[in-house]
Formats: sequence, structure tokens, C-alpha cells
Amino acid sequence: MPAPMTDLAQSLIDALALGGLYALIAIGVTLIYTVMGMMNFAQGEFIMLPAYALYVLAGVPFGVAVGAALVTGIAIAVLAERVAFRPVRNADLAAQLVTSLAVATILQNVVSASVDARAQSVATPELLSESSQVGTLSIPNLEILTLALTVVVLGGLGWLLYRTRIGLEMRAAAENFEMARLLGVRANRVIAIAFAISGALAATVGVLIVIQTGQVSPTMGLTPVLVGFIAVVIGGFGRISGAVVGGLVLGALSSLLGTYLPDGLVPFRDAIVFSLPVAILIVRPQGLLGSATGEARI
Amino acid sequence: MTGRGLRSPASAATSLVVPLVLVALTAVAGASGTPSFEGTVTLILCNLIVVLGLQVFIGNSGVYSFGQLGFAASGAYVAALLTISPAFTALQTPELPKLIADTQLGPLPSTLIAAVASGVLAGVVGLPLMRTSTLAIPISTFAFLIVAYNVLANWELVTGGSSGLVSIPRTTDVTAAGLWAGVAVVVALVFKWSASGYRLQATREDEVAARSIGIGLMRERLIAFTISGMLCGIGGALAVHQSGTLSPTTFYFAASVTTITMLVVGGARSVLGAVVGTLAVATVNELLRNFEEGASVLGLISIGAAPGLAAVGLGLILLVTMVALPGGLSGGREAGEIGPLRRRLRSRAPSTSSAVAATDRAKPRPARGSAGGLRAEGVSLAFAGLHVLRGVELELPPGEALGLIGPNGAGKTTLVNVLSGFQAPEAGSVLLDGVDVTSWSPPRLARAGLGRTFQAALPFAGLTVVESVAVGAMGVGVGRRRAVDVAANVLERLGLGEQAQSPAGLQPPGSQRLLGIARALATGPRYLLLDEPAAGLNDEECRDLVAILRGVIRDFGCGILLIEHDMNVVMDLCSRVQVLDDGETVAVGSPEEVQAHPAVVEAYLGASYAVGAHA
Repeated sequence: MPAPMTDLAQSLIDALALGGLYALIAIGVTLIYTVMGMMNFAQGEFIMLPAYALYVLAGVPFGVAVGAALVTGIAIAVLAERVAFRPVRNADLAAQLVTSLAVATILQNVVSASVDARAQSVATPELLSESSQVGTLSIPNLEILTLALTVVVLGGLGWLLYRTRIGLEMRAAAENFEMARLLGVRANRVIAIAFAISGALAATVGVLIVIQTGQVSPTMGLTPVLVGFIAVVIGGFGRISGAVVGGLVLGALSSLLGTYLPDGLVPFRDAIVFSLPVAILIVRPQGLLGSATGEARI
Repeated sequence: MTGRGLRSPASAATSLVVPLVLVALTAVAGASGTPSFEGTVTLILCNLIVVLGLQVFIGNSGVYSFGQLGFAASGAYVAALLTISPAFTALQTPELPKLIADTQLGPLPSTLIAAVASGVLAGVVGLPLMRTSTLAIPISTFAFLIVAYNVLANWELVTGGSSGLVSIPRTTDVTAAGLWAGVAVVVALVFKWSASGYRLQATREDEVAARSIGIGLMRERLIAFTISGMLCGIGGALAVHQSGTLSPTTFYFAASVTTITMLVVGGARSVLGAVVGTLAVATVNELLRNFEEGASVLGLISIGAAPGLAAVGLGLILLVTMVALPGGLSGGREAGEIGPLRRRLRSRAPSTSSAVAATDRAKPRPARGSAGGLRAEGVSLAFAGLHVLRGVELELPPGEALGLIGPNGAGKTTLVNVLSGFQAPEAGSVLLDGVDVTSWSPPRLARAGLGRTFQAALPFAGLTVVESVAVGAMGVGVGRRRAVDVAANVLERLGLGEQAQSPAGLQPPGSQRLLGIARALATGPRYLLLDEPAAGLNDEECRDLVAILRGVIRDFGCGILLIEHDMNVVMDLCSRVQVLDDGETVAVGSPEEVQAHPAVVEAYLGASYAVGAHA
């Protein structure tokens, strides 16, 4: 393969991997939005706390630490729902958003106060920072892992939502919460499970970010949660498919800009990445896949 | 104001004076303390200006913006760069345009320029952002905050980059901050009580109803967003001249959370709430910060330093407020609207009926006697393949009442939605006095003289009765004072004058229904579309309603389209009746003709009755 083609293929794989990561974030945001209509600011902290589990468990086998991170993510998401979000379940969107902002602030600063406000480095297995040779391409193992996880998560969610009773209940709740309740859907259970899945997804993202950057910090969830929000907005609110498309578009955009932006503009990549989606919204206020009514649909 | 209005002069004065006194007391307390205490109080007052800026947008629109601190940042940077001496500028920001670098202004001109710059920036940024949906605005404004931070932190040669700026003249004292905070209080209240402020509050209460009375959502949001950006810019400019240093993180996420907490804790809907919330949260925050640095209580218990502790406290306060006290400390009320005070003031409030007697000139606009009418021509519409309307023709001349009846699901409400612009037809057109208005938006149609009500009352629950009717006139561009006259007149006509000053959301269902009609009448419609106005009314109320509507037709020459299931109301009021069934017109004629029409009997009672009727 000629060099420019290799470069292109390489950057496409990079773009796909970053898009996959962003899609995982966006799915976590969307799951909670569909069952309770809340945009969850604390999703960033659901990513950050499991990452700190890796930091705290430095020295124990990495697999065990990852398991602990998953448990942390699920536990914190379920706990936050029970303590903070259930009381505002029927409040308007703005009130729920501010409540989740409060939860995010608390979690973030508890970590600041008890660990440190500055970033801490975390050692991860060598294998994950190496690359595999595929033909003329050298693909980072982390990207392979990210893509594999994205595919597994999408498959798993598809199975859960369309092949299980709880999935049916979640889809019913997303269509019409009150009606679903009248038909016997157990609201508390459906919402708790959505939070648990969302927490597990966030933990997965947290682990991937730690492997990529080698560090944790209390504010490490801020950019991911914005990424998740924007992906959800440009994909169209409340659709898993929209979240995936939004995540892929945003990730690809960010990755390709990183490669092809002139040197002088590279520091402004985030500014450009976060500005462009607004352009999409101006043309299509309902998002790429959204329906005009903006109703949640899984 | 001369005795009539949306609130009594005493209530208005109280609402204005109480927050101003709180600001003044804060400033005086700051001035009489140690220099470090004075500095703290000065910064709190600067924060207050930013929080008042948030109140203007968030409080009136009900939509959260997480981006307003970006405008505080822009104000701070503009003010700093305009005041740092040229020698220091050359060191810190070598690529700053020479004109700005060589400029060294005093505190007042630099603050004013910062205000204008931030206002302009907010207008430019808001133009696309306000086009996004209510759901997306919190996110797109959050994105703006991060973009602003990214630019400030990376544009090193102009902004000083992530290390920020130093050697900024420290010219803001507690007096200046107090005076500017007072100005901000007045700006926020004047906006809230302006026609534009009321139109925005109406969108907060109900977007659909607000559109039906001519209110353009994006326009009103953009106005508030711009004023909000300006106030935030002033707050940022003053703050940077207190602290003397500035970095991109000064007005970033943490500051956003702090100011939003202040607003929410006080109660976002009121200016009083912004002031009380800022003072309360700032006080708690200062106390917590002492603990953060490690402190000992009475020399007995010592607490280690724990940065972040104050922010945890802030988060907890915000969480508890959202769960236990969603209206905030002020309950969203201004000082002149609070319980005991209000009761005392009510006895002195002007009675609405005397106000009406004084102003007979303020009537809704009468029809211009044109030979036009509201026409639907061949209107068709299908939802997901299901035909809801099939080539419907309809003609409503001015000064006539046309009944629109038919069984449930016949397409009556859909037809009204098409006529009023809420639903675009797939085929056919709508003409208003001969002008094709098919693609017009609901607000534009309302301003062109088309009023409507909805099956649900959709009250502006957070406004008073008189406010929620006056905003109907404001919605079509009537000035505030005249809108008050119009509202007084309409309320008198509908017999709602007594309740004028009480909250619209607390009215009984019958009154709320009338209020919906009052709101539509206040827009001065030439054609009024009423969707089941008599639903839920008792017999006496129905008779009153018919009398009121007759009066509207007689006095204003208004054409009324009436969807109604109560046949007595239809037969009493309407000179013609049109029957829809399954999206098609099955009969048009006088009430008597229609009642005897076989297709109508069939549509209502089934085929067997129709056959029986012929037999």
C-alpha cells in the first residue's frame, strides 16, 4: 500500500476507535435519558470514580482492579439514583439537570479532598500500550480493545433491549413512562437497572481513558460528559442509534482534525470539535436521527 | 404608573428597594471591616452581578445556560487588557493588537467597554445557540463555555495562555462593586417587568401557549441572553480589577457551579432570590473555606486541610435545595410578592374595576371591515399513512360564529392546528383575508390577527391573572402600558377582574379556561379559534360563555370558529355549523339544517339510526 493510503487507513482506524469510545459515553447518557428524561451531568463522575479504583488498587492484578472499577461504577450510579435522582424524578428537565450537577460537584470534590486535586499517574499493563502489526498498519492494542468493546456492548445492549423482559420494560418506559407503569412495568427496577448499565458503561470508559492517558484526575470526567451530551444532541435525543451515530461522528471529527489540522490550529481542536455540532443543530434542531417531536425512543 | 398596573406601586417599590437595601448593607459591612474582609465582600458583590446576569436569562426563560461564565471571562479579559500598562502588556501578551496594547483606560471606561463587548459576544454566540431546542440549550451553552476556555488557554500571545495575566490594576473597591451591583439589580428588575421580560416568562410557563399569542421564542431568548451576557461581563470586569490576576480557570466550570448554586438556592425566578442566594451561599462558602485551609474549632478539634471541601458543601447545599426547596429561599417571589407583606399591601392595591372605568379606549383591535375571512382550501394531512384531513374546505367570515362539530377523531383539532400554523398541511392552503398564510409560523399568524385556545387550559401558572392576559397583548407587540389597559378590559368583560392580582395557576378550572380565552382576546384577534371552551363548565358558566362570545362578535366584529361537544352552546352561538367526520366535511349549514342532515345523524349515532330516521 502506498504511504498516503496507509496514513489514511491508519487515521480512519484511529477515528473509528475514538468514535467507539465516544459512542460508549453517549450510550450511557442516553440510557438514563430514555428512562427518566434526565441529562445526567454526573455521568462524568461515573467515569472518574472507577478510574480512581484503578489508582487506589495499584499493585493488585490489573484484571482484579478492572473488576473493582466496574463494581464501583455500578454502585455509584445506583446509589446516586436512589439518594439524589429519585426525589426529583418528576421534576422538570432543568431541575433534574441541576440536581445532577450537584451530584457531580459533590463526587468530584470528595475525590479532590480525599485524594488530591492534581492528576495522579496510574500504571497499566504494557501489552495495552503496545501496537499490533496488521499488514502495513500498526494498530495500537488499545484501539483494538476499544473497538471490540464497542461491538460487544452494542451486541449486548441489543440482546438485552430486544430479547429480554427487562429490555421490553425499558423500551416501554422510554415510549411512555406513565402508560408503562399502568401496564405493570416496575419503574424503580427499570430505572435502577438503567443506571446500573449506565454505570458499568461509564466504568468501561473510565478504564479505557486511564489506559490511554496513564493518569486520573478529579475533573477527568468533564470533557467526556460534554462529549456524551453533544453526541446525544447531534444524534437525536433518546435513541441508542442516535447516540452511536453521534459518538462516531464526534470521535471521527476529533480524530481527523487532530491529524489534518494545520499546526497553528491544533491547540484549538477541542474548540472546533465542540463548535461544529452547533452547526448541525441549526440545520437539524432535532439532531441527525431525531424525530421532530423529540420523544425518547430506544 | 398612575394607580393601575400589573402590580401595586407599593409592591413594585418593595420589590425594588429590598434587594437594593441588601446590597447596600453588604457594601457597608464590607467597608467597615478589615482590608481582607473588604476584598472578600467586593468579590462577593462582583459575583452577585454575575448571578443577576444568570437570573435575567435562566430565571425568566426557565432554561439553564452553563455558558454565561464565558461572558464573565470575556468581560474580564477585555477589561484587563485595556487597563494593564503597556510595559506589562508587551511582556505578557506580545501579539495583542497594538491599539489595545497601548491603551490604558481607567476603571469606568474599561468596565463599560467590557460590558458592551460581552453583550455583543453574547448576541453573536446566542444567535445560533438560541436556535437549538429547549433541551439542547444547556448542552450547547456548556459547549460554548469549554470552547471559550480552550481559546483563552491556548491563544497564548493574546490572552497570556493558561498561566493567565498579572499586574492588572486593582481599582475595584467595595463602593464601586456595590454601586454596580445596585445597577444590576435595577437592570434585572426592569427587564423582568418589561414587555420582553413578560414574553420570555410566558415561554417559560408554556411554550405552545406562548407561541399562540405571537411570541417568538428565539427572539425573546436572544434578547435576555444578550443582556445576561452584558451583566456577566460587568461582573467579570469588576472582579478582575479586585483580584489583580486572571487565568482561564477563573471563570470556568467551578465558577459556573458556584454561581448557579447561588441562583438556585435563592430562587431563580426572582431578582430577590439572586441577591439572597448569593449572600447566603457566599457566607457558607467563606466559612467552609476556613475549614479547607485547616482550622481548629475553639482550639479543641483540629481539622486538616482538605481542598475541595467547600465545593462539596456547595454541592450538598445545591442538592438539598433541589430536593427539598425547589423554589429556593425566596420561593421565586420578589420582595413585594411575599406573603405577609403582600397581604398588607393588597388592601392598598388599586381595584381593577376602577381602572377599567378610566380606560375605555383600550379595546382589542376591531376587524377592519374587510370582505376577507379565514379560509381553508383543500387541506389534507396524514399521520403515518392515516388520513386525518382529506381536502377540507372551510370559510369563516369576520363577525360570524362557525361551529365545527364531529365525533372524536374526526380531525377538528388537527384542522385548528393547521389554521393556526401549529401543523403544516400536506396539501391545500390557508388564506387569511386573501393572503396565503399556509407556511406561516404560529407567532406570525397571531400577530396577523389569528387567536386560538387549546383543549387544555395551558395557563401561565407562574404569572398573575392580569399578567398572563396582558402578556397576550405584549405578545403581538402592544407596549406594556397599553397591554395593561387591554388586559383590564378583557378581564372585566370575562368577569375575572376580581382575581387580577392572584396567581393564574391557582384559579379553579373554569376560570383557567376563561383565562385562556382572555389571553387570546388580548392579542386583538380578528379570528378566534376555540377548541372546546365549554368543556368542564356548568350550565350557568356555559350561558355566560355564550353571552361573552356574542359580545366579542358584536363589539369587535371578530370571527369565531368553535369546536364544541355541547350542542346547546353550538346552537346558541353559531349561525353556521360544519360537520367533520373521518377528516371530511359531511355537512355545512344552519344549525337546524345540520341537525336534520342524515350524514350527521349517521356520523354521530351510527348508520342504523340514520336509516331509522328516514323510515
